[in-house]
Amino acid sequence: MKHLKSALLIAILAAAICFPLYTGTYLHHTAANILIYTTLALSWDMLLRSGQISFGMSGFCGIGSYAAVMVCLNLGISPLLSIVLAGLVAGLVATLLGFAVLHLRGMYFAVVTLAVAEIFRVIVANLSVTGGTMGKLLPGAIFGGNSYGIYWLMLGILLLTIGLSELFERSRIRFALTSIRNNEIVARSTGIDIFKYLVFTFALASAIQGMVGAASAQINGFVMPESSFSLNFALLPLAMALFGGVLSTPGPVIGGVLLGIIDQVLREQIPYGHLLVYGIVLVVVVLFMPNGIVRAARVQIQRIRIQRIRPTS
Amino acid sequence: MALIYGLQAGGLYALAALPLAVALGIVGILNLSHGTLLMLGGYFAFWASTLWGVDPLVSVVPLLVVFFVIGMLLYRTTIRRALKATLFSQLLLTFGLYIVFQELANLLWRSNARQLDLSYSSASATIGSITFGTSGFIYLAAAIALVVGLVLFLRRAKTGQAAVAVGQNPRGAQLCGIDIDRIYLLIFSLTVAIIGAIGALYVIRYSIFPQVGMPFNLKGLCLIAVAGEGNLVGIVWFALFLGIAESLIRSFPGYGGWASIVFFALLIAGILVRTHRERRR
Repeated sequence: MKHLKSALLIAILAAAICFPLYTGTYLHHTAANILIYTTLALSWDMLLRSGQISFGMSGFCGIGSYAAVMVCLNLGISPLLSIVLAGLVAGLVATLLGFAVLHLRGMYFAVVTLAVAEIFRVIVANLSVTGGTMGKLLPGAIFGGNSYGIYWLMLGILLLTIGLSELFERSRIRFALTSIRNNEIVARSTGIDIFKYLVFTFALASAIQGMVGAASAQINGFVMPESSFSLNFALLPLAMALFGGVLSTPGPVIGGVLLGIIDQVLREQIPYGHLLVYGIVLVVVVLFMPNGIVRAARVQIQRIRIQRIRPTS
Repeated sequence: MALIYGLQAGGLYALAALPLAVALGIVGILNLSHGTLLMLGGYFAFWASTLWGVDPLVSVVPLLVVFFVIGMLLYRTTIRRALKATLFSQLLLTFGLYIVFQELANLLWRSNARQLDLSYSSASATIGSITFGTSGFIYLAAAIALVVGLVLFLRRAKTGQAAVAVGQNPRGAQLCGIDIDRIYLLIFSLTVAIIGAIGALYVIRYSIFPQVGMPFNLKGLCLIAVAGEGNLVGIVWFALFLGIAESLIRSFPGYGGWASIVFFALLIAGILVRTHRERRR
């Protein structure tokens, strides 16, 4: 069973890497777009494991995209390096911010992260250095717009995020975060400095979001307050993670890819209001599969297996 | 000048925040689809006015009835199932409803902004040397009426008292013989009815498009977070204060873009101070 599982994982990985070799430019861009939202979904879930619901993803995406474009234009740093730097900037901002806001819980934390993201957007839209509401234009897209490079770049960032997420699941950070989620008072009384882990996770998740924002800015070749800080960066990944199933690595990834594909297909069919079906899917999933589709599928598979062992007489 | 427009805008913020606060405080559901229901009510009033010449102020009454029924349907089909679920499930559910309503509006009426042209929407008055629009005072008047009505209802009416009891302790209320499911249905439908009717007031002054809902969710949520869930009167005060602060900034030429930052900065400061005080206790 274990061999089968790892063989399946390797096959999926190989298929994901070879995907662009057999498809056209349009599909490369579509797939890269799906990978962007999937990565965000997973990074959001990483913080969610501590019970903190953040709506601030669009803020860190925006910071990352502006940071990348600014260092590219002013310091002449290569686009690839600028993405890494953007991650560092977003992580640094998140660390400082984390000390102030991570004491908040539940609805208060969610509202504050949302407000902080808005504040970032307003600041950027009103400064002349960042080009105001018009934003900034890059001389060209990353890799000269080569769609293979763009796809592999986004796949790389997603794989990095998956790796980090799994590392978290297998280390003591997981216990710290789970204990905060389940019972914070007990967690504190055991003498673990949970706040340290919380800030670290928040900073790392935000750094990933900054990198994703930077990569998306480098792919598009421009930044604008409205599009770089778009609320879509916060809301769509949230739906994807919940669709797939939260508090795990496979859930948000599978949910992100599936919902991303559904979204793209519908977008081509219904240009206006294609998100309607998106909303219906969400409502149905919450009402009938509250743990997400991955866990629902697992339960089904297990049921079939039990039936095989004990055939119904 | 800025003070007057601030009061008017603040009235609208208060109107949007009050039903949200009641739903959160009593039914215990954070209804993210709230702002889009306002938008739908606004569209109904808009079409009633353009197609049949019904004044938005008149359409408030039928909207209350229609949205009460919509609220009942929503509660029966979806909300009731999520009452005992976790905060995420509730958020996701109402967020899904939010997308459904917004995209429905997008599908039916496209995304362009529409504005009513009413005889009184540009009415103005002059005091001394300043002239200002008066139609916005509808929001202030309606907000005061709504908060007085709600407070009276919750304190004096038997159903209102029962609702408060359910909000504080559902199981205890049930033991006292209150039918909590009926209270939830009633209160949730009531908040939906109110927000739908507010949509009619909204189109008197502002233009409407499918995306107008979200800002009201955000600002309403922020106000509730600062004032505290049960503090309805406090929400009105904060809404007016923030409305005035926002329009003061806007009145400085060249700095209009910074107005919303003040709003959010004040809110964050408010929340941080509040929780800091609570932690000390």
